[in-house]
Amino acid sequence: MTQILQQTRDAPSRLRAYAAGRLVATRQRARDYRSRTTDGAIAMHALVFASVVATFLLFLAGSEWTVLPVIAFVATFAVGWSRYQAEAAKALTFLTTVATVSILSLIIAFLLVRSEPIVRHMGLDVLTRIEQPLWTSNQGGVYALTPMMAGTAVTTVIATLVAAPIGIAGAVFVSEIAPRRVREVVKPGIELMAGIPSITYGFIGLTIVNQYFYVEFGTPTIGTYFAAGLMIGIMALPTVVTVSEDALNAVPESVKSGALAMGSTKWQTTKSVTIPAGLSGVSAGVLLGVGRALGETMAATVMLTHTKGFPSPVFDVFSNYGETLTTVIAFEGGNASGIHMSALFAGGVVLFVTVMLLSVTSQYVEWRMYQKLGGER
Amino acid sequence: MSNVTRNRLTGADSTTGELVSQVVLGTSVLAFVAAWLLLLQWVDETATLAGVPALQLLGGAVVLIGAGLTFVGVGSRLGYLDATPSSTAGVPVGFVFGLLWAILGGIAATLVLGDALSLWLPVATVFGVGGFLGSVLPREDVGSTVPLGTILALFGASVAFGGIDANWTWSPSWSAAVFPGSELVPVAVVFATLLGAWGGAKAKLGFGAEGRQAGAYYLVGSVVFAMLGVLALLVAFIVTNGLETVLTGTSLTGGHLTLPFVGLQVPWAEFPFLLNQTGGLFVEIPGVLPAVIGTLWLVFGAVLFAVPLGVGAAVFLTEYAERGRFTQVVEVATNGLWSTPSIVFGLFGLAFLVPRISGGNSIFVGQLVLGFMLLPLVLITCREAILAVPDKHRDASAALGVTKWQTIRSVVLPAAMPGTITGIILGVGRIAGETAPLLLVFGGSPYPSSSPNVIGSFEFGIEPPFVTNEALLSPASALPYQLYSTITAGVFPKEVFTNTEFGWGTALVLLLVVVGLYAIGVGSRLYFRRKLHHE
Repeated sequence: MTQILQQTRDAPSRLRAYAAGRLVATRQRARDYRSRTTDGAIAMHALVFASVVATFLLFLAGSEWTVLPVIAFVATFAVGWSRYQAEAAKALTFLTTVATVSILSLIIAFLLVRSEPIVRHMGLDVLTRIEQPLWTSNQGGVYALTPMMAGTAVTTVIATLVAAPIGIAGAVFVSEIAPRRVREVVKPGIELMAGIPSITYGFIGLTIVNQYFYVEFGTPTIGTYFAAGLMIGIMALPTVVTVSEDALNAVPESVKSGALAMGSTKWQTTKSVTIPAGLSGVSAGVLLGVGRALGETMAATVMLTHTKGFPSPVFDVFSNYGETLTTVIAFEGGNASGIHMSALFAGGVVLFVTVMLLSVTSQYVEWRMYQKLGGER
Repeated sequence: MSNVTRNRLTGADSTTGELVSQVVLGTSVLAFVAAWLLLLQWVDETATLAGVPALQLLGGAVVLIGAGLTFVGVGSRLGYLDATPSSTAGVPVGFVFGLLWAILGGIAATLVLGDALSLWLPVATVFGVGGFLGSVLPREDVGSTVPLGTILALFGASVAFGGIDANWTWSPSWSAAVFPGSELVPVAVVFATLLGAWGGAKAKLGFGAEGRQAGAYYLVGSVVFAMLGVLALLVAFIVTNGLETVLTGTSLTGGHLTLPFVGLQVPWAEFPFLLNQTGGLFVEIPGVLPAVIGTLWLVFGAVLFAVPLGVGAAVFLTEYAERGRFTQVVEVATNGLWSTPSIVFGLFGLAFLVPRISGGNSIFVGQLVLGFMLLPLVLITCREAILAVPDKHRDASAALGVTKWQTIRSVVLPAAMPGTITGIILGVGRIAGETAPLLLVFGGSPYPSSSPNVIGSFEFGIEPPFVTNEALLSPASALPYQLYSTITAGVFPKEVFTNTEFGWGTALVLLLVVVGLYAIGVGSRLYFRRKLHHE
């Protein structure tokens, strides 16, 4: 306790020291840069960066004069390339890196800005309202995302229940059990499956799976959470298999040989050595698969009924309700406006945040595994 | 004991146990396949074999499996059959069997007492704990067979003799659906036979470490087999359904090709589904040409945008930047972009690009949005390819007195090219099938009557922005978008196809394009990897 207090008391001075250190380092870097770079190259860098910034700002403002800084950029760059090729190349690669990061920042910024009106209009009700009406333009517009969040949760859980066990079994098979020849066929095959477009799965789901459940199980509507979740699970399978298989393969061969040399069978080695060692990688694969299932749009859009509400009980996966965060955006995004559109953007924010959390978690888990195994990285 | 060779001269009988296990295993595999045939409705559930309905036959098979398992287990425990069991079946097995018994208890309680939670939950718990203890406490040969065998025999008997047939239904109060026996029984049989094969394979090798290995391999093998089967079926389905549509009106010699300069017409192959417009007054057989052209333009633009950005960023990250906070941020951002759902990219394009570029759906915005999606993949694969270039090459180049940029340009990038190209092809395969963002920023009329003419519509002016292209700034169609709009639109405008038929045709063309790209990507990776290993 006292330690924490001490630390908090020290915080300002440590922050100051850190800032001063950074300042010194930056100054040093600037001096290095000036001494290493010729004046012409410095001028080119300055012009290139200025024109890029101007392009971005003008584009953001929606001006038709955006083309001028673009021309300036191309001209400066052409001159710079012919005279200071190395410096020009370095500047270009730096710009592309910044562009990559700024695309993500722009996505976040625009999602937040555009979802702000609905939050001002409804407050936290957007995420918590559970009584009717849930989604209507009457009463000044009520747009609650709760039924879609429930729908996303239900379909994702079903998809995970399908994809996780079968996917892990597939990974174990490909990496541990299958003979070399079989593996060389099965692995690319599974990767090919990952390439089948989701709209194709949706089409099959619509014409066959939905019909099957409607005819055989007497579901109230053509299209249920269960059918959609099943299809999404099949779609997420290849992701789970590929990533988990990579994780199992990353377990060093020496560890496995050690277990085999102790007289254990191959399966004992797999079960008690390989899978525990690769477990974090396998869970990263499952998390990635869950992320895929969460963000999956087209199959669900085509298969679900787009009726918003809560089935009773909530886990009745064969009800006539069917709408997830992704499907509502895809289905209504084309002709929404005002706070309706804003509500869709809020749905996008919820999706984005969830998937981001999953992605960061899986990266962390994977990173820990490679640390633990002292892997090749 | 796993490596001890069993001696045929030991007192106990080793062949009977093996034979019974073999029967259990064989029955399981047969029933597994038969249950799938019923589920896929290739065999009607009212079908009979030698006068016995299919479902009862399946029930009988499950009874046989259960009885066989119990026989082997008890026989081995009493010393009549030769086996090398461990002292316990293990906790994981206990959990699986406990769960099965809990389900059995729950069902029994609901049937007898009614379906209130307070009634069936305690019974299910008691049964579950009993099943768990029953499998963990006894020696492995009993623990891993008897609890399972009993359940299988009970289930099989209720199907074979207990009146659960195709017309039996289960309508639980919590669900809007009605579960008919004709579907529930095959589903249950699939799971039952998986477990049966597991137990049978275990028993066949006399339990113990070897038995467990065989059991696990059978279980995993059948699951994977079923998975691959389902995936292959999906593809086969699209192909068989779409082929007729795609081939409508094709002939090898029906068309005409006017030879350039000579003006002579020669017979030529005709492929209306690929080469015709979708809508329009004079089109007899509607085709997907506008969608194909649209997809080509989309992919072209996305590659043009994403590849320089991705490769540049990869070079900067690996060659110029020092590892630190900045590279970490870029890495997190790249992985974030990679896992961002496609529909969110669509929303972003709608908010950021559409009002600033075209004011409505357009090819150009679609290209940029797909480019954003392609970017992280190009970056990741190119980065890995550059990292894989050995430092020896860089050092050798530096030793010649060459500058860093020249090294990158003439040593590093050429060596990293194969990996990058593979990554790009795989990424293109992914974005070519992408639909969700196109709905928001790209799609035009569901049945276009003309293909986008991008090359021919460049116009130059003296007002900014000096160059305009009407075609790039107007909506179009692409293969996945075409499929979506065909599904959601009402009646198909031409009588040749129904909506569904046209949809299957489009799906097949889309599948061929995407899977073709993937096959090239995966193949080239295998090729380069093999070449690398041979060097």
